Amino acid sequence: MDVNFRKIDIDAYDEDVISEGELYEADPRDPGQVLEDAKAKAAAVRSSLSKGDMAGALGTILDSPPFGANVEDAKNLTLQTVVTVLNSTKSADIPNVVKSLTPEAQDTLMKYLYKGMAMPGWGDVSGSVLLGWHEKLTDVAGTGCIVRAMTDHRLV
Amino acid sequence: MSPEVYNVAQTPITGHAFNADRSQVAVSLNSNDVQILSRSGNEWTTTETLSEHDKVITSIDWAPNSNRIVTSSQDRNAYVWQQTPDPLTGRTIWKPTLVLLRINRAATFVRWSPFEDKFAVASGARAIAICSFDPDNDWWVSRLLKKPIRATVLSVDWHPNNVLLAAGGADMKARVFSAYIKDVDKRPAGSVWGEKLPFNTICGEYTSPAGGWVHAVGFSPSGDVLAFASHDSTISIVYPGGPTIYTIRSNTLPYVTLTWTAEDAFVAAGHDCQPVLFTGSQSGWQSAGSLDDTSAPKSSGGARGGLGGASPVGRLNSLAYTTFRNADSRGLAQSPGGAGSASPDGDLFTVHQNTITSVRPYAGQPGAVTKVSTSGVDGKLVVWNVSAVGSLTTRLGAARLG
Amino acid sequence: MSNVLRPYLAAVRSTLTAALTLENFASQVVERHNQPEVEVGKSKEVLLNPMIISRNENERVLIEPSVNSIRLSIKIKQADEIERILCKKFTRFMMQRAENFIVLRRKPVKGYDISFLITNTQTETMLKHKIVDFIIQFMEDVDREISEMKLSLNARARTVAESYLIAFNP
Repeated sequence: MDVNFRKIDIDAYDEDVISEGELYEADPRDPGQVLEDAKAKAAAVRSSLSKGDMAGALGTILDSPPFGANVEDAKNLTLQTVVTVLNSTKSADIPNVVKSLTPEAQDTLMKYLYKGMAMPGWGDVSGSVLLGWHEKLTDVAGTGCIVRAMTDHRLV
Repeated sequence: MSPEVYNVAQTPITGHAFNADRSQVAVSLNSNDVQILSRSGNEWTTTETLSEHDKVITSIDWAPNSNRIVTSSQDRNAYVWQQTPDPLTGRTIWKPTLVLLRINRAATFVRWSPFEDKFAVASGARAIAICSFDPDNDWWVSRLLKKPIRATVLSVDWHPNNVLLAAGGADMKARVFSAYIKDVDKRPAGSVWGEKLPFNTICGEYTSPAGGWVHAVGFSPSGDVLAFASHDSTISIVYPGGPTIYTIRSNTLPYVTLTWTAEDAFVAAGHDCQPVLFTGSQSGWQSAGSLDDTSAPKSSGGARGGLGGASPVGRLNSLAYTTFRNADSRGLAQSPGGAGSASPDGDLFTVHQNTITSVRPYAGQPGAVTKVSTSGVDGKLVVWNVSAVGSLTTRLGAARLG
Repeated sequence: MSNVLRPYLAAVRSTLTAALTLENFASQVVERHNQPEVEVGKSKEVLLNPMIISRNENERVLIEPSVNSIRLSIKIKQADEIERILCKKFTRFMMQRAENFIVLRRKPVKGYDISFLITNTQTETMLKHKIVDFIIQFMEDVDREISEMKLSLNARARTVAESYLIAFNP
């Protein structure tokens, strides 16, 4: 007997059901524009890094990050840049850098830390560096920051 | 003044509602029954049990003037309970009246309107039932607010004009609806939320920046300001004119309940296990500190006294979080006398030992509430002095002098 | 404890604390039911973003939060074949006795060695910070347990080999 019909998820056809795309407001920017922004910011970060301005570099890259669908290139570029900044910050400087960020940037940084930890071995992601940042960021921004990384469906 | 702590049960209290003179309280202990407790001295004893629901009760409200109780439950029903003489014995008993809710999922939250002629039942059926009494049939009938709700409604709050209703839910939106019922309400005067208000008008829809289910909504005493707490650990305060929205990001776990104490202050509580006072005005809002004194361990039972060991006001907010952070460096939590703020037997330093699920006004007038009551998952019922935050600073000064 | 393990456990602890903000939530899909939403997965809006905390490719924790339940899965460090066998035996032993552990899931999530399912009923009956302590304690102990078992296994193998070879060298 054919039992495949039992596997149809009929609840998905309920007209009130919320789909993945309705969980957050889509980015008004065009995907090409987002990638341009990410490239421009990556360049700005490189120049800040060469001057040793870690807080400035991190603040720049964490401002209006790419999120949502169709912007994979921009997302990867931004993650790569964030990881570069994180890796090149001395661990003694981390608390001050974290404190200098705006609350929005702290929330965004938390999202990138979890994203980085979800991809161990990708690029030059290093588990111990991310864990060190996670600890310092939690010290400053609290569990509230982690809760916001969980609830925010605007995935970076 | 220390908070009054009553250990009502070992099980969670899913809802509590006091009667008008605060001599009785209706609670549901995570079960299908409502218990009515009466105060005798410093204890609360069960005097009556209301059983009619057949699934866990989610919310209770007690109308102060008409002395009626309304309950909602996950069995999809709501009942209105009224005191009537028993025809056989002549004793006064609580008699349930059925409510025709017409919802097919759990009822999650219920509140009487300010004039007590209507009540709103939030539900998992992606709808809010606005119920009014139908004297012809001797039952309560409902009209449903449906559009544009997309998920379970978690809480509602009535505007003082008896017509507007705020609702927040799992679809991450806080909304203001008109719940105008032609035969019950007089045409309301225009307000900041709108002029013409037929049933199901949406007067506003708000969301917090990082999303998150809206656990609690509340109108200010004047009804001109809306506050809502969402699961991203933020509280947003909405002034509908602009609209201007202030968002307070908390460092700790999400708040799940709130109540206004004055036009410029409200108390919020939740997974952080302590009630926190927020104050502000149209020019900005901030946290004013916790009502709980989290610097010393509490004996698990009875009210605690004494003024000793008040901690700096600025640190109050993050103390529950510090509990966990100190325990982070393992060993601290286990070694007795460690610096962690959980005592060796594992009690938290807050009065409530688990999530606070409900905070309600206890004493004072709307707009000048002096005491609030909280109940939570730990089975405690606590009455707090709202001014305790202010007095903490003076206490600290006194402690330094002495 | 090694200094490297501490930030890892600290991250798991704070994430778990943040995720254990559960409430009683009746299903909005099935009438009169109350199911762990993280297992059902039918209402997208009551699920939160899954979080992964990793030390390296071989050691990670997945935390999947939802409105009334969370699922926590652990990938235990397995450096060689013996550790892999020991880990499999060990987690299998535990999971067959899952009801004694209350929060243990009978089957691990794909890609992980052992999973826990914590629902709002459990956060209501047990103290939340105690549940967190239990999980952290478990993570600490499981590594030690497996390396101890490996040591005693090696010691035993050596003894067996020695006494066997003695027979040829009287």
